Amino acid sequence: MNRAKTTNLLFQLTTFGAAILIVILIVGMLLTLLHESWPAVRRFGFFDFLLGRRWNYADNLYGAFRPLAGTVISTALALAAAVPVALGTALFLTELCPHRLRGIIGAAIELLAAIPSIIYGMWGLFALAPFLENHFQPLAAAGPGRLPLIGSFFQSQYAGGVNLFTASMVLAIMILPFITSITREAFKQVPPILKESSYGVGATRWETIWQVVLPCTKSTVAGGVIIAMGRALGETMAVAYVIGNRHGALDSIFSPYSTITSVMANEFNEAAGLQMSSLFTLALMLLAANFLVLSLAKYLLRPRI
Amino acid sequence: MDLMTVDKLNFFYGRHQALKSVNLPIRKNAITSLIGPSGCGKTTLLRCFNRMHDLYPGNRYEGRISLRDQNILSGDIDLISLRSRLGMVFQKPTPFPMSVFDNIAYGLRLRKVKNKNALAERVEKALKQAALWDEVKDRLGDNAAGLSGGQQQRLVIARTLAVEPEVILFDESTSALDPISTQKIEELMVELKKEVTIVAVTHNMQQAARVSDYTALMYLGELMEYGDTKSIFTRPKHKMTEEYVSGRFG
Repeated sequence: MNRAKTTNLLFQLTTFGAAILIVILIVGMLLTLLHESWPAVRRFGFFDFLLGRRWNYADNLYGAFRPLAGTVISTALALAAAVPVALGTALFLTELCPHRLRGIIGAAIELLAAIPSIIYGMWGLFALAPFLENHFQPLAAAGPGRLPLIGSFFQSQYAGGVNLFTASMVLAIMILPFITSITREAFKQVPPILKESSYGVGATRWETIWQVVLPCTKSTVAGGVIIAMGRALGETMAVAYVIGNRHGALDSIFSPYSTITSVMANEFNEAAGLQMSSLFTLALMLLAANFLVLSLAKYLLRPRI
Repeated sequence: MDLMTVDKLNFFYGRHQALKSVNLPIRKNAITSLIGPSGCGKTTLLRCFNRMHDLYPGNRYEGRISLRDQNILSGDIDLISLRSRLGMVFQKPTPFPMSVFDNIAYGLRLRKVKNKNALAERVEKALKQAALWDEVKDRLGDNAAGLSGGQQQRLVIARTLAVEPEVILFDESTSALDPISTQKIEELMVELKKEVTIVAVTHNMQQAARVSDYTALMYLGELMEYGDTKSIFTRPKHKMTEEYVSGRFG
């Protein structure tokens, strides 16, 4: 074999090795999770673990229902708050914003994405939590808090502002830049002549945005929202700072609660045995959820001809 | 009769002057072609007619464009209603992401035409005017993206016609179409001039010669020559016009 051929073969093998390493890592990680979660699944059964409402060290009984609900509710609240703001920002930047302001706001959004999550957690704990407690919770208590049946969900029984709602708002701020930049890109891709066609038959800016720009970009927008959802599901440090980490039943959105990730972050240090295995089962569930969500996003954001 | 008159029109993209003192009449119920090499300002001129330039910052007009003796460049003109008086058809078909019916009804609904029968009647009329009715009458509910390129372009023409414009501006509207679709659009333009006035920007010299009644040649932002199409193509006054229409330059 001559030298050129040897180099070529070596190169092929190295790159193949690098690529296969990724697959090995993923499979290894999955095997670890499956192996470690097995004791909890065997003890409680998968569905009883999924729907179990207890997380009790004394009786050594664990169930995923509450952290799972915490993750789902905080993600939903975060999306509900972030999506309108992000869409509004993206539309403003692409359709309405004067040129000079565009750069400043665009840079601010990118900066928001660059802030490490622990900083969001600290800011949430020391600034946002007291602010919401003093200014937002009284409003909520006086407004929807007076409704029959569901009113108590908007009343706060705990002091400190560390609760499910605060965690959701921190999450909302964290996912804002993702939704904004993906939807902004989508809006930019709408051909100018399509918008001009709408203006050409006498539409206003608002009518053009609502009836042409948004329908044209709906699947990309949905993809962006779902990527943000994946991030919100898995976000750990910021949430662990501000959610309060309580295992009780959820009686109000202003009560401390827990999510899958906050439970994992808080308890790994001291957990052993069945508790540790339960934490691994939670991890496996989170991984599955994230995988599904990202696949969906990939499908929605697939390149089209 | 002149429906529109362009009078000493200057146009600026920021500091760059794209049109230089253009004077041009637009005859009613006729087809006026704007021809000239790329970058000569013909599309810029066309987009002055419906003030499309106003959508983007930094653009400025000087001079006057009259439409029925009203100066459409004046500051107090209502752009929304102006644009529906001068419909526009673009280089590529621009169907909206909705059904064939909703595409045509789009401009009508913006005008608060809500009565279902009235809407259906006007959609049918517009599609017939655009010679598209027979091809789409059984698929009005289908997404407009499923039509062929030529059909989509006629759909856009029908959408424009539905709001009953006085003028239709064609901006190289056959440049993305095959010869047969192009021929259909050209026949349609000739048919439509009975009811509307047409201004068409085209790169295609034969097209200008075939369909238009009047032709204006532009070069570097200026109007070089204007006249009835036959004399522009057979007895041009300027040497440059002769060279351009015979394909020796441009």
